Amino acid sequence: MKKLYTTILYLSLVVLGFSSCNDYLDDIPKGSRIPQTLADFEALIRDEYTNHRVDIRQAEILLNDRFITEATLSFYPLDKANYLWDESADRIALNRSDEATYYTGYAGISTFNLIVENALSSTEASEAEQRELWAQAKVLRAMSYFNLVNYYADTYEAGNAADKRSVPLITSADINAPSSQVSILELYDFIVGDIEEAIPYLPRVSQTVLHPDLGTGYALLSRVYLQMANYGEALNYADMALDEHDDLYDWTAYYNDNKAVIEDPDAYVTTPSPMGFDYVENYNFRHGSLSRIATENNILTDRADRFEPGDARFLSRWKVRTVGAETFYNSTLSGYFNYGGITTVEVYLIKAECLARTGQTGNAMDMLNRVRKTRILPDVYQDLEATGEAGAIEAIMNTKRNELILTIIPFCDARRLNAEGIYTVGFTKTYNGESYALTPDSHLWTMPFPQGATDNPGNGTIVQNVNK
Amino acid sequence: MKKLINRVGLNGHALKFDLKMRLTLLLLFISLFRIEASSYSQNIRVSVDLEHVTVEEFFRTVESMTSYRFLYNHRDVNVSRIINVYASKEPLSGVLKKVFGDTDISYKVVDHQIVLNTLSPVEKTDDNGKLQKKLITGTVRDKNGMPLLGVTVLIKGTQQGTTTDEDGKFSIAAEEDDVLVFSYIGFLSREIQVEAEQEINIRLIEQTNELGEVTVTGYQTISSERTTGAFTKLKSEDFKSQRLNSLDAVLAGRIVGYQDGVIRGVTSMNGLTTPLYVIDGFPVEKTRYNENYGLEENLPDLNIEDIESITVLKDAAAASIYGARAANGVVVITTKKAKAGETNISFSSNLTVSPYRFYTGNLTNSADIIALEREWALGNPNLGGTDGTSASYASSLLENAVYGSQGMQALLHYYAGNITESELNGTLDQLGTAGYRYYDDIARHAKRDQYYQQYNVSFGKASQKNSFNASVTYKNNTFEDRYSEENSLGINLKNSTKITDWLDMDLGAYIHFNNEDLQTFDPLNPGFVYQPYNRLVNADDSPFVSTAASRYNRSTLQSIDTYNLYSMDIVPMDELGRNLKKHKNFLSRTYAKFNVKLSDAFSYNAMFQYEYGVERISQLKDKNSYAVRQRVNGLVTLSSANNAVFNLPYGDISFRGDQYTNAYNFRQQINFDKFFEDIHQVSVIAGTELRHSKLEYSDYTRYGYDSQTLTYTPVNQADLLQAYGSVFGGYMSQNDFSVERELLNRYFSVYGNAGYTYDGKYNITGSLRWDRSNLWGTDNKYQNRPTWSAGAGWNIHNESFFSYSRVDMLKLRFSYGIGGNVAKNSAPYLTAYYNSNNNVGGVQGSINSRPNPQLSWEKTTTANLGIDFALFNNRLNGTIDVYNKKGEDLLANSMGVPTEGWGYSTYTLNNGEMTNKGIEISLSGSILSTEDFSWNAGILYAYNKNKVNYVNVEAPVYYLQLDYPSAYPRVGKNFNSIYGYSWAGLSSTGLPQVYDADGQAVSSNPADLEAIEDFGTTVPVQSGSFNTSVSYKNFSLSALFIYELGHKIRNTFLPMFGNSYSGASGGYIANIRPGNKRIRDRWINPGDEAHTDVPRVVYEYDTEYSYDLQSIYSYADVNILNASNLRLSNVSLAYQTSALAPRLGIENVRINFNVENVFTVAANRDVKYLLGGYRTPNFVLGLHVNL
Repeated sequence: MKKLYTTILYLSLVVLGFSSCNDYLDDIPKGSRIPQTLADFEALIRDEYTNHRVDIRQAEILLNDRFITEATLSFYPLDKANYLWDESADRIALNRSDEATYYTGYAGISTFNLIVENALSSTEASEAEQRELWAQAKVLRAMSYFNLVNYYADTYEAGNAADKRSVPLITSADINAPSSQVSILELYDFIVGDIEEAIPYLPRVSQTVLHPDLGTGYALLSRVYLQMANYGEALNYADMALDEHDDLYDWTAYYNDNKAVIEDPDAYVTTPSPMGFDYVENYNFRHGSLSRIATENNILTDRADRFEPGDARFLSRWKVRTVGAETFYNSTLSGYFNYGGITTVEVYLIKAECLARTGQTGNAMDMLNRVRKTRILPDVYQDLEATGEAGAIEAIMNTKRNELILTIIPFCDARRLNAEGIYTVGFTKTYNGESYALTPDSHLWTMPFPQGATDNPGNGTIVQNVNK
Repeated sequence: MKKLINRVGLNGHALKFDLKMRLTLLLLFISLFRIEASSYSQNIRVSVDLEHVTVEEFFRTVESMTSYRFLYNHRDVNVSRIINVYASKEPLSGVLKKVFGDTDISYKVVDHQIVLNTLSPVEKTDDNGKLQKKLITGTVRDKNGMPLLGVTVLIKGTQQGTTTDEDGKFSIAAEEDDVLVFSYIGFLSREIQVEAEQEINIRLIEQTNELGEVTVTGYQTISSERTTGAFTKLKSEDFKSQRLNSLDAVLAGRIVGYQDGVIRGVTSMNGLTTPLYVIDGFPVEKTRYNENYGLEENLPDLNIEDIESITVLKDAAAASIYGARAANGVVVITTKKAKAGETNISFSSNLTVSPYRFYTGNLTNSADIIALEREWALGNPNLGGTDGTSASYASSLLENAVYGSQGMQALLHYYAGNITESELNGTLDQLGTAGYRYYDDIARHAKRDQYYQQYNVSFGKASQKNSFNASVTYKNNTFEDRYSEENSLGINLKNSTKITDWLDMDLGAYIHFNNEDLQTFDPLNPGFVYQPYNRLVNADDSPFVSTAASRYNRSTLQSIDTYNLYSMDIVPMDELGRNLKKHKNFLSRTYAKFNVKLSDAFSYNAMFQYEYGVERISQLKDKNSYAVRQRVNGLVTLSSANNAVFNLPYGDISFRGDQYTNAYNFRQQINFDKFFEDIHQVSVIAGTELRHSKLEYSDYTRYGYDSQTLTYTPVNQADLLQAYGSVFGGYMSQNDFSVERELLNRYFSVYGNAGYTYDGKYNITGSLRWDRSNLWGTDNKYQNRPTWSAGAGWNIHNESFFSYSRVDMLKLRFSYGIGGNVAKNSAPYLTAYYNSNNNVGGVQGSINSRPNPQLSWEKTTTANLGIDFALFNNRLNGTIDVYNKKGEDLLANSMGVPTEGWGYSTYTLNNGEMTNKGIEISLSGSILSTEDFSWNAGILYAYNKNKVNYVNVEAPVYYLQLDYPSAYPRVGKNFNSIYGYSWAGLSSTGLPQVYDADGQAVSSNPADLEAIEDFGTTVPVQSGSFNTSVSYKNFSLSALFIYELGHKIRNTFLPMFGNSYSGASGGYIANIRPGNKRIRDRWINPGDEAHTDVPRVVYEYDTEYSYDLQSIYSYADVNILNASNLRLSNVSLAYQTSALAPRLGIENVRINFNVENVFTVAANRDVKYLLGGYRTPNFVLGLHVNL
């Protein structure tokens, strides 16, 4: 009996041994990990779904750069307001839930904030590696802020940027981190500052196309300065970016390779998109609204008419189609599309515009024609020429709107040009017998914040930048 | 040599005796003699044939044959005397007379004891003349002073003893300092030391008011009289009229407060809401990953026929010993254990038929659909023109295959000029008369009546030292889908052995095998648009073919042809039997329990259970099946030479999924149980418990599989993940190759429980438990908080002043305490999950949970006041409980802040509070009881009111309030509320309207939290059941009604078409599909809004067409319906007889015929439909035989 007592006592001690108990219970669920090493943080940049979706739906709709059926228009009143340029519509009331532009934009910013906060103390890395990741996160964060401020706030104008509110600036990934809806000037300063701080640490060649390299840094800075109408700096950084990387994709060759399908008017089968991760024009790659494999948006016949005749890139992407009562251009590429990143063609065209604006019309047109040569089929190709700034800019902007369709750039450019007031952008159209117009000074050029964000602002406040 | 043939039989059961003899002969070789009888009586007859044996050997023989025990004093009875006994089916008394007739030993058979005494006790003195032994006399009575007959009085440590006579009197010779043990079945034993007094008068206290009534908590078994908590107990007797196919069927309507798998309402917002199931002392959780890799709680597997009793622990005093899993209540199941001296063999079987029926009583028929399709065409402005635009419009829709139904295609062919008006009318009229042809075809060709068969064989045998039980349940079910069936086998083995006087050992094993085939093709979702006028089998008996041409546009059809793709035709009759999902499951639970008696008061338990389960899913997708053809074609891309590239090999696709579970539970416990000075009864337990459960899931899919050669075609996963089909737009995700998941939960707990009873009248109990788990935060502040409870009970009927003879039992009890609850997949850390990136290579990581260091278990405080009573000789029994169950630190949702980047996510914080207040009443009574006729009835009533007291989130956006009401409960409202808009009737153009926040009727979504109101709860406020059973002679008829009152249900079966994105048209269209036939009452002409609430059908070409119409209509309170209902859940007619016993050796037979789910009464047809009230009843024929 006594022996039995002893046995029980020992057994109890084993089970009651709290020190071992802690180990027993200190078990992190499998399938996930607490990020600690540099590699753990670096991997976050590869999460395309969370961090690299750049949705700009309403901007595309406002520009009438995507086709929407009549039924869908009445289905979604916000789409309809922007599509038909209805200035009387209360878009704030219609934008009554989430909006991917805002939600996914800030989702990426949260990840980049986490990396900026932790990269320099991450383990298993040299200081250079830590700095590199830190710098890449800053560039991506700047890129996201640039999109948001050019969507939800008025465009940058040196005269009033300090007086107008932009979008909430948040720099921490913590729960309940404070945010502040700073002025447009402050936000641009933040963006420029981030990129400038990052540039010294950016690699010439980055790990993947999702990770910004030095060329991306320069190209982004060029894009930002252009938007600030600082053409000198924009030109300067465009040159530096093109020094890093200046390949253009030969769309005429793509056209020839896929001629059989492209030229068959009845075939709506798709051919693979060359504009994916390995597109030679990429500085960095970010998706549009979808991060999965997909086709492009269909576009309106009116919009299709504004492409240059013989544009192989256009012909490879869309084909006319009639379904029921509606005719539109149906997308014929499938795969991935770099809508959210930066490509060389944009930098070529930034450079062209900057040259045009600094009186170097001939050089500007050379830049433009370098691009056009890879786009326009040889049997119709002719160099474009212009004599003055206005002609050059008109030609450059025409090509830029087509080349960068479905990205945020045509929208940014239109706002910039409208603010400048010289080469303004506006549209008119007839729809179901009614005439509609989008004027250059319309309030529609600034999008309202979604109700999901304004009603749940977290540790900060959000004030709409547009009345309706 | 001795020759032993021992036979014992009951009076007159000669045939049984003979039949069993054959068995006896078999067993003789093993044990020489056997015990056999399932009940005893004073008139027991014994057959013995003993030659030249000692009296002691005679005793042993009789004791081993029967449950009788000899009580005698060694000094009085000469046990070494040699005797010869022969008896053939003689009464026991006659046999005893043969043995003791010539001696001075008297014998008396009292209950199961044979008491031997000398006729003239001689008082002996020792050398000093002191009385060595004296005669002690006395009387034993119960608490009411009634003498007890047959109480065993034994000198402790000896076999010397006697029993009391009819006057409760006894006399026994004992020495001073001897301890007399008084024991009597159903009463607490008492020990009295012999002192100077020669007379000992004592009272024995009943263990419970009802003989043998005990409460099993899983940690201890205590007499019900001593409990203070809210327990509800079911015995197998209570549910024998039920088909024993699922635990839920047994509990529903029989446990007051158990409703829809939940006890006393929902107390958690995000954690588990299901009770904890405990089988034979061990918690058993069946958590599994479902097809979407989410976690699911299932009812545990067991052989339901083995259930001896089910005890449901509802309040803190009852359940808080289960610590962190106690808040939702605990269901404790004990399985049968053979009683000493018994051998039980029973067999049961039942056959259930559930006829197939697809309820069409509220569904649109062919004529309705044709009328609506005509309406679509008539109202379509694009078809009105005569300038040829109509024809090109119609041709274009046909060419692009926007509308797939036969009626729409006929209409478009007419407008396109392909058929004449009379041809069109002919076609439509013919389709319109088809009624519910598609559903009829399904019933005839694709479905069948369901049959459930269930068989059980149980065997139990026990002796004084060992008890063994075994049972086997086999089930074979065929389901309504022709290729879906299931069979399972459950084997339960259980053995208890008394190894020594101080050591008991229990071993048990449960093994469950399950095979299931599931049809995956659903004819109600066949992959093409069908209407009620469609067919599965054509008039000429050929199978219906949905051709690719009827579904795809011209470009796609041309590509199928050009690139030589596999056929895209669907033949539903061929698809039915293809791609079956096969599940093969194995589960085992084995346990060992040791009980060491350390002293009279102390004992020690150690128990260990190990569970292991394997679930295998395999699905071989036939290469001929549409699913495979579609998959392979979907991934076809084009080469630069414009040829098809088949990225996925054409062949069978094999999917294999495995799920492993292992769990163990180790518990050690010290028990103390002592009765001091006749009035103080103390029991204390203290112990530690370790629990571990692990779940691993993995699956993989192989392509181009050959099940004969067991080979597959390797595919390049990285390339496939980059492929996007050129013709059909197919693509793949990583889950199409392989998936892995794992869940590990560990707990370590220390617990204790104490109870004190004074004089059988006053009880106090308390319990305390600490749990630590790997689930919770790192913050010790939260980990170290204990769950605890305290309770008090007062057995009023035991008070001396209480003397109402009509009241047999009256008990008042109160308890208060805290139970816990967990959410199984919460973690306190910032964690990221990692997987490979197929686009740019390397590993990608995503943050899946932000840090939540203050995560802890949810705590639920319950106060419970209860009264138990039994009146009129136990003819009326009842329990009334009133409770207040308050949940705090509930894991509540917070909507992530969009600016913080978490706008699409919710995260959980321990900050919610809610209460469930309720009353539970159960009454059962024997209304009439005569020898031949009896009538019993019972009623259960539960009232539960839930209220959210605190939560610091408000739905940030209106639609979250509507769609996820439980994520954004409103303070002061019921947690289970349905939220919606207030209905404002139809507009003058037939559009649905609701009131916005300003009280204006609008046809657009108010999109405003202020406009959203609470329209009641989805959980019944009042629920319960009524059961009654009448028996006359061998027949009994019983019925169980279940009712639920005061709750609401959202109508999801609307008289309105849904809308969906049509890839073919590139936009949204209204789906003209079978739906609620009330669409016949829709608004058609102005003025209709005065007498109908069914909106006008708004087709996609209509200028009023809007997303909002459907959303406001479905959210309006006109579609929130009163869900109160009454169901006749079970009717059972049974015939039971023991008449077969003499002839067939069958002790009793019960044959029962049941009808389950007989009818449902609900507020209206829509509600009844939503509640499943139109399902056909199940018909059950059952047979139960006891050998």
